[in-house]
Amino acid sequence: MPGFARLTATFATLAAGGALAADPPPAPAFAASNLSPAGVRSMAANCAACHGTNGRAAPGSTLSGLAGKPRDELLLALTQFKQGQRPATLMHQLAKGYTDEELAALADHFARQGRDR
Amino acid sequence: MIIRRREFLAAGAAMAAAGLAGCAGMPGGASKARVVVVGGGYAGATAAKYVRLFDPSIEVVLVEPNEAFVSCPISNLVLGGFRTIGDITTPYTGLQANHGVRVVRDAATAIDAERREVRLARGEVLRYDRVIVAPGIEFIPGALPALDTAQGQEQVLHAWKAGAQTVALRRRLEEMRDGGVYVLAIPEAPYRCPPGPYERACQVAAYFKAAKPRAKVLVLDANANITSKGPLFRKAWESLYAGIVEYRPQSKAVDVDLRAGTVKLELDDVKGDVLNVIPPMKAGRIADPYITANRRWCEVDWLTFESKVAPGVHVLGDATQSAPVMPKSGHMANAHGKACAAAVVAMLNGQAPNPSPTLTNTCYSFVSRTQVVHVASVHKYDAAARTFKTVPGAGGVSGAASEMEAGHAHNWARNIWADTLT
Repeated sequence: MPGFARLTATFATLAAGGALAADPPPAPAFAASNLSPAGVRSMAANCAACHGTNGRAAPGSTLSGLAGKPRDELLLALTQFKQGQRPATLMHQLAKGYTDEELAALADHFARQGRDR
Repeated sequence: MIIRRREFLAAGAAMAAAGLAGCAGMPGGASKARVVVVGGGYAGATAAKYVRLFDPSIEVVLVEPNEAFVSCPISNLVLGGFRTIGDITTPYTGLQANHGVRVVRDAATAIDAERREVRLARGEVLRYDRVIVAPGIEFIPGALPALDTAQGQEQVLHAWKAGAQTVALRRRLEEMRDGGVYVLAIPEAPYRCPPGPYERACQVAAYFKAAKPRAKVLVLDANANITSKGPLFRKAWESLYAGIVEYRPQSKAVDVDLRAGTVKLELDDVKGDVLNVIPPMKAGRIADPYITANRRWCEVDWLTFESKVAPGVHVLGDATQSAPVMPKSGHMANAHGKACAAAVVAMLNGQAPNPSPTLTNTCYSFVSRTQVVHVASVHKYDAAARTFKTVPGAGGVSGAASEMEAGHAHNWARNIWADTLT
């Protein structure tokens, strides 16, 4: 029985290999979202590169900060970016990289940040 | 003896710092653990800051030989004459003042992963619980033999580490005669900053167009085609710099004839008035023991950025063997720094690292003084493949160059410099 299972697995691998030659590679299997406080904090840290550490924009930046904005305002913007319903240069491309639950968690996170440094 | 005394003084300083931070509950007032970061670029400086943000009870020492941080992104604008080197320079003082990172201005000469020690050029030895190695890149010795000589390095600039070379190259462009030829040689991918050379061609062309209208930019690309934002750069060259920029793909520089002033390709030689050769590159030298891929790059466990061959040693940024379609960029290095900081903090607290990290990348390129294009991507962890992959349907490039994106690019620079260093 284990031998048969191995054989079947081998055939399946061969079949997949054959299919790969013609088809695009299989869709990535991403790990499930980590919406724990530490997980959301890490995900939100990506936003800081453009929007400032903890969502507080650097002095001289004309890009609006995210910290302390109402949650619903942030989530609406992120959702509209993702759905292509809000004018954007690149936020429509980045927002599509997150699940709806992740966008909601990011909106929650930045709404809770104080506006002051 | 000297080392012991320095160690003792360092420990005393750490205890004092921990005391000031109000860190109670640690035996003798010592910190919970010490993280040493080697290299203060986008990856290392960000990691140092974010370890302290995520857990202020961990002591962080950043080892960096340079007095201040000079940004590679935006440095091409110094060549175009639209920014000064001062505009792209940020001191390291903010890391110490705002986040309690001890910044040691010295070069790391060796890492002993068994004894968990980093040795510095001036003799200090730093004990660590985890070390984060972010050395950036160095050029592969012997790849272009003439560039291994002092004369070759003086005569042919790379300007691929922003700073003195950037200023020197700008001066040579200013001194070049109208009607002269600036030759830019690009190595085979992977190299630091995929769109950077093509942006540089635009910036030098913008300067020539205004100041030396008969001068030319000749791009010798070892690659079969433009490696990033290809249609956008081609459009810029055709619409803004027609007759100035000439692009030659599949033209790999193999050496330089210093006397003749030519770049030697595999089949012919190309003469120029200013030669700007970007040699092929590898992980910075201090990371040599952790190089596992093509004798150039360091493979890491992408959940923790821990080296595949050295426990307790984490490698970040350009020095890593990149995940599929992951660029060697300043923005990506900043993202590495945060993801690694989170993992290191979790591990030092006896917790599992985040099983599903996300990284983003945004690279802006100035095709002129006022017109900018971008490429953006979102990278998530595929547990079965144990690597980052881009999220299908997300990411992309600009539809066209715009002034609006120039504003975004300057904001990006302000914010990422502050996020990395202050």
